[in-house]
Amino acid sequence: MNKKIKGSLAIVTAVAVAFGIASVPTASAATKTFTIAYQGPLSGGEASTGIDEQNAVKYAAKLFMAANKGYTIKVVSVDDQGDPAVASTVAPGIGANKNILGVVGPAYSGATIASLPYYKAGGLVLISPSATRVSLTDPKSPDFGGPVFHRVVGKDDLQGPALAKYATQTTPNAKVFVFDDQSAYAVPLRGFVEGGLKKVAGATLVGGDSVPNTTTDFSPTVAKIKTSGANVVIYTGYYSQAAVFVKQLRDSGSTAVFAGGDGVFNQEFPKLAGAAAEGSRITGVGGLAGISAKVEADFKAKMGVSSGVYSVEAFDGANILLSGIKAGKTTRAKMLAYVNAYSGKSISGNTIKFDKNGDISYGLFAGFTSKSGVLVNTGIVK
Amino acid sequence: MFAVLIDQFWSLTIAGIALGFIYVLISLGYTMVYGVLRMINFANSEIFMWGTFGTVVTSRDIFHYTQTSEPATGAKLALVLITSLLMSMLVAGLTAVFVEFVAYRRLRMKGTNRLATLISAIGISIALQEVMRLLTSSRPVGSPRVLEKIILTEVWGANIRLDTVITIIAAAIIFFLLERFIKLSRMGKAIRAVSQNEDAAKLMGVNLNRVITTTFLVGGLATGAAGFFYITVFEYTKFNIGFTMGMAAFTAAVLGGIGNIRGAFFGGLTLGLLEVYASAVLGTQWKAVTVFIVLVLVLLFKPNGLFGEAVQTTRA
Repeated sequence: MNKKIKGSLAIVTAVAVAFGIASVPTASAATKTFTIAYQGPLSGGEASTGIDEQNAVKYAAKLFMAANKGYTIKVVSVDDQGDPAVASTVAPGIGANKNILGVVGPAYSGATIASLPYYKAGGLVLISPSATRVSLTDPKSPDFGGPVFHRVVGKDDLQGPALAKYATQTTPNAKVFVFDDQSAYAVPLRGFVEGGLKKVAGATLVGGDSVPNTTTDFSPTVAKIKTSGANVVIYTGYYSQAAVFVKQLRDSGSTAVFAGGDGVFNQEFPKLAGAAAEGSRITGVGGLAGISAKVEADFKAKMGVSSGVYSVEAFDGANILLSGIKAGKTTRAKMLAYVNAYSGKSISGNTIKFDKNGDISYGLFAGFTSKSGVLVNTGIVK
Repeated sequence: MFAVLIDQFWSLTIAGIALGFIYVLISLGYTMVYGVLRMINFANSEIFMWGTFGTVVTSRDIFHYTQTSEPATGAKLALVLITSLLMSMLVAGLTAVFVEFVAYRRLRMKGTNRLATLISAIGISIALQEVMRLLTSSRPVGSPRVLEKIILTEVWGANIRLDTVITIIAAAIIFFLLERFIKLSRMGKAIRAVSQNEDAAKLMGVNLNRVITTTFLVGGLATGAAGFFYITVFEYTKFNIGFTMGMAAFTAAVLGGIGNIRGAFFGGLTLGLLEVYASAVLGTQWKAVTVFIVLVLVLLFKPNGLFGEAVQTTRA
């Protein structure tokens, strides 16, 4: 059922894209109508991520219009399917459309890199809610997105310490075993987790391993965990392997806390692992539901659906652009200067301020605990 | 460095033997076909993967076990396990026969180059994998826990678990039965005859097509049984698990001497233990490196593997 809804949503938004872009030129005639865009995957296999983010952008626009009478905010949908090849065909039109003052997005790093030349040429400011590739804000890299690119999402150097903290929260004097799945995502994250552990009082690193992501027999790793005497085990890798591993860990009689990063953050994880997953501690991006139940209820009332992954980030990104519009920054050049100098509050309570490369100084990672087969949001890790 | 190995020696050894027996049964699939056709059946890894789904479907869809249901006991347990085993063997056996029909027979009848069947086998293995990917929407599939992993006893600090014990004993029995079949039965003799000299066997009235189909079937049955044990121990499968397991079993077959049934036995067990010990001592990232260093060393001194290629003759 879920899939069907997502499928039809994709079609609806695809239609909206066509009409949205078509209606933009006429919008400029109105004095108080302003246009921003959302770019991300709105159709295709990754559509659920984009639709969730776009809903948060529209929600921010709705709240803004309700609070500021006389403003009409148009949100243009830009569907790049999360695919660099598609992004490079839609980005030129957006870059050239001067009505668009700023973009929340692109959602994915690859699509961002493909879009950047057109947005740099057009001086169009970008605030991505979910593009986490490190190179995007690395001035030495050819992918560097400055000065137009910004992001309101934390990179993995911020997730690592959050995971270290959350994994050990319930275990005083934690003895921690950390292992990765040898992927480009997991190996650096493991390094950041180990760095973060040094700052957790009482925690010690007692061992580690590096296990190919095709492994199903984890008996050597389990043996190492037993020998090390670890009472917390942190895995940086993906959920399917994590499920296989945690079963073998429990079958060996170990009661150590199992923890994982956003690669493990998937509701399939407790389903695959069954009872063995109970009590597992996972970090991920929590969405508005992780901020407060009141916000979530209002979101659901106004948008008709629950908020999704990265909704906090998309909401924050849209609010930055909207506050710029309110401050009268109604040209691209003014908006870009405004965002570069922006300092304000995120709905999460953190202060958003971009460094010279477009990064923020904090990462919002929520903690999830597996209870009766479901990963339950326990709020932002602090 | 050796602390883990010393501390957990028996746990590791038992895990290694159980894994080794799974390799033994899969490598039989490679070795049987190689023995008769002198060709590697590259689709065997996918035959194994299909076999694992035989067990999952039996426990989940026929007996309606779910992730949260209680494990079975007594007669029900035996019934579910045996049905699952037979189902996995059947699925894998039929898949193997299908592979022979589609990828091998037609090309063989036309007398094509050997390399052509190699490519068609790779082709059908991709097809088998993609079909399963579509059927499962690319998702990993967890198997319900039918067999409770009771710790039977503790020996020298190692837990002896029911699932590993069943795997080791049952896999050994299946291996022994297949070995006897090849050695003693009429069909087994025909298989060995074809393996020794195809033309001479034909002249003696051996039906070549039937022998080849049977060879694929027997290899498939063994591989399917491996699928059942794999699910019993790991309770997890996915459309792409075949490659890793198939590669390992193929390595085991080469290590023992491909085409050689006893070679598959010792190759599989050696590989299972070697993988586990290497992971414990050097770290899991060194597992594949260690295995292939040992393989290269063995082939350097015994180019035909530990037991040589010619077991068809020694076995006779």
